[in-house]
Amino acid sequence: MKLTKRISALILSFVLILGGLTQANAAKRLTAAVADWTGGEISCQVAVTMLEEELGYKIKRVVFPSGTGLWEAIAAGEIDFACESWPSYAEADSVMMNEDLIYEGEVVGTYNGDGSIDLLGTVGVIGMSDYYIPRYAAESLGIKSWKDLNKHKDKFATIETGSKGRLIACPVAGWNCHDQKRLDLLGIDFQADELGTEAAAVAEAVAAYKRKEPFLLYLWEPHWFFGAYDMVGVGLPEHKVCDPDTFTEAGNWKDCGTKGWPATGWAKDYTMNYGNPATFAKPEHAKAKEFFELMSFQNADQAVMLVEVKQKNRDLKEVVKEWKDANPDKWKSWIPK
Amino acid sequence: MSSSTELLTKPNNPKKVVSYALILLTFLVALWLSTQSEGPSKFPKVVTDEFKFTAWVNDGESYLKKNYRWITKIIANYIKEGYFFLEDFFLDSPWILIAAIMILPCLIAGGLRLGLYACFVIYFWGAVGMWDESLQTVALMGLSVLLCVFFGVTLGVLCSQSDRFENFMKPILDTMQVMPAFVYLFPALFFFGIGGAPAILATMIYAMPPIIRLTNTGIRQVSKESIESATSFGSSKLQLLFKIKIPLSLPSIMMGVNQVIMMALALVVLACFIGAEGIGGQVWLAIRNLDVGWAMEGGLCILFMAIMFDRFSLAFSKEPETLPLDVQKFYLLPQSWEKYQVARIIEKPLSLLSYFTDLICTKITNLIAYIFALVVSLINKSSALDVGDFISKKYYLIPSLIILFLISFIDSTFFEFGTFPKEWKLSLRQPIANGVESLTVNESFIAFTKGLRGFVYLKLLKPLDTFLTHIPWWYTMGIFVVIGYFTVGLRFAFITFLLLLFIGACGIWTQSMVTLSSVLVSVALCFALGVPLGIIASYNERFRNIQNVVLDAMQTLPYFCYLIPVLMFFGGGIVSAVLATVVYSIPPIIRLTSLGLTQVSGSYSEVSRSFGGTLMQTLKKVKFPLAVPSLVIGFNQTVIMAFAMQIVTPLIGGKGLGLEVFNGLARSDTGRGLAAGIGIVLLAIIIDRISLAWTRKQRLALGLSKN
Repeated sequence: MKLTKRISALILSFVLILGGLTQANAAKRLTAAVADWTGGEISCQVAVTMLEEELGYKIKRVVFPSGTGLWEAIAAGEIDFACESWPSYAEADSVMMNEDLIYEGEVVGTYNGDGSIDLLGTVGVIGMSDYYIPRYAAESLGIKSWKDLNKHKDKFATIETGSKGRLIACPVAGWNCHDQKRLDLLGIDFQADELGTEAAAVAEAVAAYKRKEPFLLYLWEPHWFFGAYDMVGVGLPEHKVCDPDTFTEAGNWKDCGTKGWPATGWAKDYTMNYGNPATFAKPEHAKAKEFFELMSFQNADQAVMLVEVKQKNRDLKEVVKEWKDANPDKWKSWIPK
Repeated sequence: MSSSTELLTKPNNPKKVVSYALILLTFLVALWLSTQSEGPSKFPKVVTDEFKFTAWVNDGESYLKKNYRWITKIIANYIKEGYFFLEDFFLDSPWILIAAIMILPCLIAGGLRLGLYACFVIYFWGAVGMWDESLQTVALMGLSVLLCVFFGVTLGVLCSQSDRFENFMKPILDTMQVMPAFVYLFPALFFFGIGGAPAILATMIYAMPPIIRLTNTGIRQVSKESIESATSFGSSKLQLLFKIKIPLSLPSIMMGVNQVIMMALALVVLACFIGAEGIGGQVWLAIRNLDVGWAMEGGLCILFMAIMFDRFSLAFSKEPETLPLDVQKFYLLPQSWEKYQVARIIEKPLSLLSYFTDLICTKITNLIAYIFALVVSLINKSSALDVGDFISKKYYLIPSLIILFLISFIDSTFFEFGTFPKEWKLSLRQPIANGVESLTVNESFIAFTKGLRGFVYLKLLKPLDTFLTHIPWWYTMGIFVVIGYFTVGLRFAFITFLLLLFIGACGIWTQSMVTLSSVLVSVALCFALGVPLGIIASYNERFRNIQNVVLDAMQTLPYFCYLIPVLMFFGGGIVSAVLATVVYSIPPIIRLTSLGLTQVSGSYSEVSRSFGGTLMQTLKKVKFPLAVPSLVIGFNQTVIMAFAMQIVTPLIGGKGLGLEVFNGLARSDTGRGLAAGIGIVLLAIIIDRISLAWTRKQRLALGLSKN
């Protein structure tokens, strides 16, 4: 009796689990990589919500660290698409894409790679990166540009950096910011500390801001941090590419001194969505491809949602849903007929 | 120096003095050497240039990818299909059906208590808004456990039948258990794709050893008498195996299933790093958002789930206790409260309820059995009896099936249950977040964390870091080899030499020394905190009980839950990495200290007390020396856990080999990641073997074990 009881419970749990009752819609399934910074997450969620609610897709969201690994995973067809790639950060784009980057009808970039990645179109969000210091520090120390940083480096030093100042650097290795290289080339006697995640870097910055300490932070716009804290950029030299561009992984990161990247700031980033060419060549995904071409998500909209998500601690999906319901005029034009 | 002069005054152990002096000398030479060198010690360029492990791995990988990927793809596809099927079923079914599927087996196997607990767990998943994620985790885990049990039992049975096969499997199982899962998690990704499939396969590697071992020992331990009586009745070898040996070893196999479930759960959470969905992904998102409350909710979902599955599988392997006839059986309250009148009154309706449920279930089942028998008897009289008999034995299965059927029927025809109701929301996020927030702005607390950060960095990490990276590599290597020779033996010394040579030749010597120093500092802090806690626990039972619950919870929570509070209070950086490691790897040292001290048999301490020893004297002179083996095991486990944590700490600013693994992954450079991953394993193996061998020697010296 006891054995029967046990076996019956076992059978019950397994048989029922396997005795499915569903009908999967396998055809309209796509896998998306969730970006590992909040702005990217929002752009991605906007695209995913549209695809799911307006085009009847079922999207799998996969958390995957950004970098070349992600590009290869997409080229291999493991992931179908990823959102909001920033051209200045991607090393793989020039090798793997073979298309023009077009923003509002204007060609803003050209790629001559092997075409193993499909450029799906611009997101609409335009990004800018810089090094920032809090306004109170800029005013009290009189720092007007990056050239003044060395004079006050001891104020920016921490126990970890000793005599050098500390830059809370671009957190993720895969983003290819080359912070230390830039600091060295520009002769800024600071140490770039990579903290591993956006969260770690921002946590450090928030704590320092609350204690009114000076700190130098790598950050990008749009970012929720600017909504909450008053920061000023140090105005790095304007973006310039080396000619010829030797500062690549293939070129063994040979720099050309102060003449160009990475001794300059970042370019204006026309962010883009990218995907697997084979997936988006399929007729059943034609609508999705068209959607990505039409998508035009604005900085201002992302900034509003960033505040909702990060400062009011709200659920990302809810915030996006709310925005979608409130602003049909903004996204109706993205949906292919 | 004072310790060595103190030792010199003891005339009876000159050998010890010599060895202490030697250790001191070695240390001084190392110190001198490290101050001599300009930068971090590097392996000769000739070696690192010739030994292109990274390139070889990458070449090998692309060769395998090109030629054999279709095989792994097919396997992965099968698993993926299975997983999608399960996941779709879970996510698209009415929530009440899913809840019933979870709760009914718990109710049947574990009685009312477990049933109610399961209700609570299900409610919690939905209420904190992690319904989908929890079910994804359950699906991933369920499939892994199913596959693990199938292959594990098969392999276990094979092991039990052939000594040669057992000997062949043993080293493989050892390696499977020692290797940190992260190391094969990433390569699995490149062959089996992203998401469910590699996660399930990695889980199988990690979680299968216990069930293989337990099946094997279970079958081998079946008593000779039962085997003899079976053979005397003329059973064949296969009959003997399937009719006698396997049924008799079922408790042992169920024990294995239990362990598989717990280990699978631990790994499935980690699998979010290779794109598997579920609670792990939520916790990681929470970390990135610095949302402690969110991460804690995820952690609690996992914790409750783990307890539920643990109790559920234990209920199977436990024999139901039989009570004397005159004692009222308690369904909800602890049986020991039977002596209280109030408790008996509270339990009365419950036993009535149970009686009626039993009655109804039996009646329904008998009725169905009767109908079936009737139908079958139209065709064949004799099998009708069998069918009727068969069905009437399924007291619980049939009514449960009816309930589930009814739910899906109602859902499809009358009223859609849909997904978990949003109104039942319960949020712990805000209170937890507020608590953390108030601490982050609390000035004295921040002063304390800053002080601690300064102390750990300036006094411990930085000196040790510079020391270890600046000692010439050949000197460090020599020390390890000598230690290996004296504690384990010549063969191990040679192996140590080769392993360290590998690390050096891969060009990751500096990083591995950084990792070593982080681990050593973490372990030292674990010792400084854990041993006193263990001592208190060994003297105070109430404290011990509370501590055990806390430690259990700490070990079941996914291990990157700890990252956020540490991050909030200490900021990102290498100090935070060390502190997170301490939080994660402290439980074994606390547990084993208290275990070691309580296990020292009472007679020893009584003898010491009767000779007039004070509490401190007894502790220092009698209990501690006797508890050393247990302490070393604790130390050993703490070290292994600290090494495992090194792969996660780069997320909050950890440096060393862990960061190399991440960099390798981010740049799609498998060789680089793999070399660093292997480096961590090798360091862990060396330290593990040395400390285990040392324990064995201690036990021998104390006469605690025979060989």
